[in-house]
Amino acid sequence: MLKKVFLFITILSSCLFLIVGCGKDDGEQTSSDNVIHTALTGKITGLDPANMRDWSSGVVAGNIFETLYQYHYLKRPYEAIPLLAESMPIISDDGLTYTIKIKQGVLFHDDKCFPDGRGRELVAEDFIYALKRIANIKNISQNWSMFDNKILGLDEFREYTKTCKTRDEVDYSWQVEGLKAVDDYTLVIKFKRRWPQFIYILTDPSTTAIAKEADDMYGKDIIAHPVGTGPFKLKTWHRGSYIELVRNPKFRGELYPSEGEPGDEEAGYLDDAGKPMPFVDGITWSIIAEQQPAWLLFMNGQIDSKAIPKDNFGEAIDSSMELTDQMEALNIRLEKFSDPSTYFVGFNMEDQLLGNNKPLRRAISYAVDRKRFIDLFSNNRNIVADGFLPPLMASYNPEIKKKGYAEYSNEKAKQLIEEAEIINKGKIPLLKLGMPGTGTSYRQMGQFLKKCFNDVGLEVEMLYMDWPTYLEKKNSKSLQMFVSGWIATVPDARDFLEIFYSPYWKAGTKSFNYYNPQFDKLFEQVEVMPDSGERRELYRRMEMVVMDDCPAVFINHRVSYVLKHSWYKNYKPHVFQYGLAKYRRLDCAERANYKQFLKKVK
Amino acid sequence: MTDVVKDKKIVAVKGTSLWKDGLRRLKHRKFAMVCLVIILAYFAVTAFVYVAEFFNWQIRAVMWTEEVGPSYQPPDVKYVFGTDIFGQSVLRKTIYGAKTSITVALCASLISILIGVPLGAIAGYFRGVVDEIIVWIYSTLSSIPYILLILAFAVVLRDRTLFGFRLTGMVTVYLAIGLTSWVGICRLIRGEIIKHKDREYVLAARSYGSSNARIIFKQLLPNVFHLVIIDFSLRFVSFIHAEVILSFLGLGEADKPSWGAMINDARIELARGVWWQMAAATVAIFFISLALNIFGDALRDSLDPKLRMQ
Amino acid sequence: MTAYIIRRLFYTVPIVAGVLLLTFVLFNLVGGDISLEIAGKNATQETIDEIRHEYGLDKPLFLSLDSQFVNHFKNALVFDFGRARDREPVIDKIKRGIAPSLSITVPMFFGVVFISVSLALLVAFVRGSAWDSLTLFICVAGMSIPYLSFILFGQYFFAYKWGFFPIYYTPGLSLYEYAALPVLIGIVTGIGSNLRFYRTVMLDEMKSDYVRTAFAKGLSTRKVLFKHVLKNAMIPIITRVVLAIPYLFLGSLLLERFFGIPGLGYLMIEAIGSRDYFIINAMTYISAILFVLFNLTTDICYALVDPRVSLD
Repeated sequence: MLKKVFLFITILSSCLFLIVGCGKDDGEQTSSDNVIHTALTGKITGLDPANMRDWSSGVVAGNIFETLYQYHYLKRPYEAIPLLAESMPIISDDGLTYTIKIKQGVLFHDDKCFPDGRGRELVAEDFIYALKRIANIKNISQNWSMFDNKILGLDEFREYTKTCKTRDEVDYSWQVEGLKAVDDYTLVIKFKRRWPQFIYILTDPSTTAIAKEADDMYGKDIIAHPVGTGPFKLKTWHRGSYIELVRNPKFRGELYPSEGEPGDEEAGYLDDAGKPMPFVDGITWSIIAEQQPAWLLFMNGQIDSKAIPKDNFGEAIDSSMELTDQMEALNIRLEKFSDPSTYFVGFNMEDQLLGNNKPLRRAISYAVDRKRFIDLFSNNRNIVADGFLPPLMASYNPEIKKKGYAEYSNEKAKQLIEEAEIINKGKIPLLKLGMPGTGTSYRQMGQFLKKCFNDVGLEVEMLYMDWPTYLEKKNSKSLQMFVSGWIATVPDARDFLEIFYSPYWKAGTKSFNYYNPQFDKLFEQVEVMPDSGERRELYRRMEMVVMDDCPAVFINHRVSYVLKHSWYKNYKPHVFQYGLAKYRRLDCAERANYKQFLKKVK
Repeated sequence: MTDVVKDKKIVAVKGTSLWKDGLRRLKHRKFAMVCLVIILAYFAVTAFVYVAEFFNWQIRAVMWTEEVGPSYQPPDVKYVFGTDIFGQSVLRKTIYGAKTSITVALCASLISILIGVPLGAIAGYFRGVVDEIIVWIYSTLSSIPYILLILAFAVVLRDRTLFGFRLTGMVTVYLAIGLTSWVGICRLIRGEIIKHKDREYVLAARSYGSSNARIIFKQLLPNVFHLVIIDFSLRFVSFIHAEVILSFLGLGEADKPSWGAMINDARIELARGVWWQMAAATVAIFFISLALNIFGDALRDSLDPKLRMQ
Repeated sequence: MTAYIIRRLFYTVPIVAGVLLLTFVLFNLVGGDISLEIAGKNATQETIDEIRHEYGLDKPLFLSLDSQFVNHFKNALVFDFGRARDREPVIDKIKRGIAPSLSITVPMFFGVVFISVSLALLVAFVRGSAWDSLTLFICVAGMSIPYLSFILFGQYFFAYKWGFFPIYYTPGLSLYEYAALPVLIGIVTGIGSNLRFYRTVMLDEMKSDYVRTAFAKGLSTRKVLFKHVLKNAMIPIITRVVLAIPYLFLGSLLLERFFGIPGLGYLMIEAIGSRDYFIINAMTYISAILFVLFNLTTDICYALVDPRVSLD
């Protein structure tokens, strides 16, 4: 009998071995492949443009899908140029109608959703279909808030979809007044009010064209079956592990830009001017949640570029903020660039204690040692935030530093706390600060902030929670203070200002719950203004209004240091554009020789 | 006749209980005694930290927030265990960490004993439907892998308000571990009670009208309590280790030092070659676990009735 | 005999029902309304309502035929776990994660079992001697070091500093490359407690009367061990071994997380971080089923092997 048991176990384990043996390995990665190897820290949630709000997904999707407009790769300041559109849009005098001509002969990827598996030509209707998809409530699109109450007739379409019981019942031929395809290659969009940033919205992957055939065939699984028009197609996607894109053989072709900004030629960014793109045969992203392994893979030449993790900084950068000799010896290059972001400790202005007590808020702002924070948590890379608009914005106020909003002074803080106690009619009770994570970095930050508070006599309790819980609490206004950041997705400061505009946050995500009628009025004024010196002045005034009210402790703006190997060509950092792989080129021979080169140098 | 009686030696043997006998034998095991000393030392440190905090004594050893030196100093003569990112003494953090880890283990043990022992006793004594239900409950719980169960409980219990009582940080950890660990002791007690309940002394007690509660608490439980102690000492170790894992998953005390947090920090610190936080916490956990394991084993051997012959 | 088997089978039903009840209480009642989390940032009330409808959260909890409670049971029975937070069907995720998980846990399992049992036999030879005590001490010492420390230590020295193994899973690596270090660490940590257990089992057997008789008869230790003790000790050993099999499917949560192996353990940890109740629910249910099944198997084998075990 015992023997039978043994037999059973042996058979079982052999089966297990077989399963394991069979489930294996496609795609031997070699360094001589003309494929970009790179890594992401966050996983990709899905490749459906109607439901794409995280950065990782955008980075990948930007290479598969194309939008009407894109940012110029090399020119700064950032400007929008046509991609699938023929030319810049024709805007009516009242600013309410955009007429866009689209290029002819653009083909969708070959996919089995098309008859014969061959991608058909892109037409204007496909863009309209995409927007209607976002409006369709059955798709529960996270991108809807971008278009809410903007396009004529689209909100009515959304109401109509609410009356349908299932997804299949929705009839997409329902006419939307503001979205019309006059002919196959002409798109006419009408707004309810002026929307000067619309051209930038048209660079967002969510506005890419969708083929109805793909939507019909894949339904909810379209998140894993993207059908675009771009230079790359999806090859494999092992969720949470890695994703591979491969060159689209039917790509209509695009030429590498021939103009740039001063300094591009010297940096070698114009070497491929005028040549047809893409240059590589594919891209692989490995999802590596931990910084350490990713760093080591980069040092081994298995990843082509990497942002320097805070704990390896000393290895790569010396005290003068330049590459160490060790890095130079390995021919590794450094790219430094600011991105339009601001990191802050936000106050819930509707909180009983904080909302009515400006001296307390100002005191907290004086108590945070921003410079030390930057030193400890970003290797001294980031820059102190004197206001909340990052320097990258055209409307950044060069004089803002003089206002002293970012000053660190324990004496001033203590004085203000005395004032605050009078307003509060008593000692300041225990404060609570929500952190959006529980890992080591967050704990270290939390401990640091706690020290800052304690040093001026304030008691604070740090609440560490995971991301979903954090979002939930912030949205339900139950966090008194919270640590967060904000990044602009278009080169227009409106992205930052809208978080303070009360009608918007009342209907959407809550954060500061800031209400200032003066600010609201100014916002409504600038919302419909196109870019101009006057608008920039107004932006600055609005920034001052907010800074005076002190709804947050603005800590820093991020500066990223990214390392790239010498074989990774045309790598110029771009803070707004997704889908940059088409510009990049690899020197495969150099990469293949790296291992030996490493041994020699060591 | 009387001659024979006179020749017989009447030897009065003093009766010993299981405990007295066991403890006597335990004392002979020198190694186990050393371990007991170590265990008591850890508890003493924990108690000391509690008292110092309560009375706000400014004793250097407990003031872990003080910056004693520059950031990330390696261990040397001045900084015995080195410093962390804020220049705080790792030695002091380790001492404070004892409080966190041992409290977790104690609370979790208490919860699991408070649930497991009564349930086991009731199930074993009353049998019938009550037994079926309790066995069903713990069979269900034990069908789910321990770590999954803890995680599921911890994720769900985090930051919820249960019956008006807000759950935060450490309380979630105590509950999660305690609520999932009572099965072992419950089973053990139930098995023993079943064995004992038909013994003569119990039947005797019942015959002169003792209530059920009296029988359980005064007769049965004391006879099986040695198992609880053994289980406690061995499970304590697993709770300390569980704290490390839960800390890794982001559950647990975040503001105060704990051994689990110190080991977790090593994940990013090792990149800069900072090994001393992890080393200190590992060493601390190592000694208490070793001591408890050895002592628990020795206790079990000493109290094992089968070995009384030796 | 068959009556026993059928009775045992019937008994699994209330257990499975209990597990489903527990998961329902945990994730649907105590866990709270997750539609807000699914909706994400910038969600309006209408979006949230739509989500509730899609996930069936607007149905009554218990009392109707179409209630959440009933659906919970129905779905579990047909293994329909719905879609996870990122809209991929949960069952696809699970299917994908099985192979990588097994590629770590199966070699670990075999390694630990063979090494521990062999060592336990060896130790039985030298019982009572200094070697025995030393082995025991090493086992306990090994069990006293936190698992996390082992992993960090192993990863730092063997992969990072000395470069014997790759540090992390990347798509191009072959099975042997990426599994080597995690399996090694797993085996080293697993031997401690297993060896102690098997040693105890063997030594307990060696104290029995029939062994004493055998020695008295003049049999050598080797004969005693292999002809008598091993067979009897096999029962508890096999029980432990077989009951460990369901855990193989769960994957080693920590090893997978630290080495980036895209198995079920990694899936679980992600699910915990993103509060993906759907995945946790599915995994809990599946592990419970496996556990129950293997328990059943062991009990039946027990009954068949050992005539002393009562069939009640």
